[in-house]
Amino acid sequence: MKHVIIGNGIAGVSAAEVIRELDATAAITMIGDETFPPYSRPMISYVLEGSQSHAKLPIRSADFYNELGIEPILGQRAAGIEVESCQVVLANGATVPYDRLLIATGADPRPIKADGLGLKNIFYMRTQAHAAAQVAALDNARKAVVLGGGLVGFKAAYGLLKRGLAVTMLITSGYPLAMQVDLVAGQMILAEMVRHGLTVEVGVTVQGFAGSKRVEAVVTDTGRLLDCDLVIIGKGVLPCRDFIPKDRVEVDLGVVVDEYLQTSAANIYAAGDVAELHDLARDCRWVNALWPEAANQGRVAGYNMAGIRLAYPGSLSRNVMRVFDLDVLTVGNTDPRDEDGFVTVSTGGQANRFYRRLVIKEDRLVGAVLIGDIEQGGVLRALIENRTPLRLPAERLLRPGFNFGQLL
Amino acid sequence: MNQVVVHPERCVGCMQCMLACATAHSRNGTLFGATLERPQPKPRIHVGAGRFNEGFPNRCRHCQPAPCQSACLAGAINRIASTGTVMINLDRCINCASCAMACPYGVIRFHEDPFGPPNRPIAVKCDNCSNRVVKGLIPACVEVCKAGALTWEAVDDAMRRKNREVARAMTGEADCPNVPAGVALLKFIKRAELELNER
Ligand SMILES: Cc1cc2nc3c(=O)[nH]c(=O)nc-3n(C[C@H](O)[C@H](O)[C@H](O)COP(=O)(O)OP(=O)(O)OC[C@H]3O[C@@H](n4cnc5c(N)ncnc54)[C@H](O)[C@@H]3O)c2cc1C
Ligand code: SF4
Repeated sequence: MKHVIIGNGIAGVSAAEVIRELDATAAITMIGDETFPPYSRPMISYVLEGSQSHAKLPIRSADFYNELGIEPILGQRAAGIEVESCQVVLANGATVPYDRLLIATGADPRPIKADGLGLKNIFYMRTQAHAAAQVAALDNARKAVVLGGGLVGFKAAYGLLKRGLAVTMLITSGYPLAMQVDLVAGQMILAEMVRHGLTVEVGVTVQGFAGSKRVEAVVTDTGRLLDCDLVIIGKGVLPCRDFIPKDRVEVDLGVVVDEYLQTSAANIYAAGDVAELHDLARDCRWVNALWPEAANQGRVAGYNMAGIRLAYPGSLSRNVMRVFDLDVLTVGNTDPRDEDGFVTVSTGGQANRFYRRLVIKEDRLVGAVLIGDIEQGGVLRALIENRTPLRLPAERLLRPGFNFGQLL
Repeated sequence: MNQVVVHPERCVGCMQCMLACATAHSRNGTLFGATLERPQPKPRIHVGAGRFNEGFPNRCRHCQPAPCQSACLAGAINRIASTGTVMINLDRCINCASCAMACPYGVIRFHEDPFGPPNRPIAVKCDNCSNRVVKGLIPACVEVCKAGALTWEAVDDAMRRKNREVARAMTGEADCPNVPAGVALLKFIKRAELELNER
């Protein structure tokens, strides 16, 4: 049996480990763009903020491929898949045949269109190389502009504030993390960031960047100049699926997979940031581009590729963030705006620096936001993920002493 | 291979296990000394109030597979193969709390630890008293629990007995669950009080 895995992020690595656990002799080939040893992508934001060194990024040994008997093809991207003849085509034209194929190519930063993108000190934030370049640019930087208030934009702004830079964040919604949290939590997060020096501008469109060699200002569509010497672009991510033949493999925003993480094509699987699958809280297909999802999906895809049929019940959005002195935890569908049939209960708010909001549909919890005292967040996550009917009134889950024992 | 088994129905809520746990995870090693230590050693077993205010001892189950392990952003959580204990690597932990989201029991806490990196909070949870067990001691919480709510036994035996107790509870046989009379009375009273209050 010959397994080929495209992508050497956590989804690809987890799948390879499971396949090797189950089958000592199977041939495994990994095709990966990045040549750095398997590393923690989320940790690059800790490198930017300065709490962790770049040297701490690897989460597997430098000898990973050798130890697991994997043939690595690193430093180039897969350019195509020939579904008919079961082979992957590389950028240099070479082909790699497979019996089972895993697409674990993750996502790339969503590119922006603007003039002057080639100036120095304008960064995306996705790879260890980006982090290293950002840190190298910090020495001479005082003023930064961050484009985007999603997860990556938020982490970029947070890291730069921690480094002592003056940071301006340009966002389209009224508060950061609008996809993750509701209005109350969003405003609490915003206030905490502003308290630590963040400037926020809402509804500004960037037209380009000005400067001679290095970026010196962001140019808005109204012609205004925002002085800066460093820019991080965090306008979301796009699944890496351009090389996939869409007439042979169903692709929506991500690569569509069933509960066995199999694509619409025989013997081809997908997992991680590139995969689109059933979302447990939203009850529809969704791309949940998150580390625990990628790790678990990778493992389950590995089982199925090795011939053990194992279902993945579905994905779930979830996030934990430390925002200076606020701890924020969000899970599931936290803000069902126009939809019917949802009930929300909440306690606390801005004045308390403590907040809890639960979203309930029929007798089940479908979303939660916690600010402060986040330790029991996993219990709520499990309730959502297991679709457990609530035996307690929702108000009891809001109380400070709530714990797992009360569910028994 | 012995493990700590929790029998919540026997817990009287005295919280002795919490003190013993914090002491066992202090540098000083005595209760008095531990209270003076900085950073303050903290328990890794948590007695909370159950639905009817009864004591509920909650600690890491060392799940297999462990959801915190695959969720850890820093590769800081691993399992010791010989004992089955899930451990957090103090040096690798970045205090991201991704594990808090993963843990279905809510047993992971975040604070500075006497043995952790200085001035840096990290994730802290039960380590099955690995340092005591290698010296031939049993976990501190088990040693101190006088109600029999925490026991140290081979998992298979414990599980079998537990299943028997639950099965008996389901069929409503008179002698079960196997809780000392005093404890049952205490729990009954707590529950009755609560129900009266909520009326
Ligand atoms: C700054 C930042 C902070 C984050 N913080 C968190 C967090 O706190 N919590 C959380 O849950 N998640 C977080 N994430 C998301 C998390 O990092 C991702 O969900 C996870 O890394 C996805 O893993 P993956 O294996 O699916 O994809 P990736 O990690 O993207 O790996 C895919 C690999 O495949 C390569 N590749 C792509 N296309 C090809 C091709 N055609 N051929 C060969 N190789 C290819 C890529 O270069 C990449 O190396 C964060 C991400 C970023 C960028
Ligand atoms: S807090 Fe530490 S142990 Fe928990 S997930 Fe993050 S790095 Fe891992």
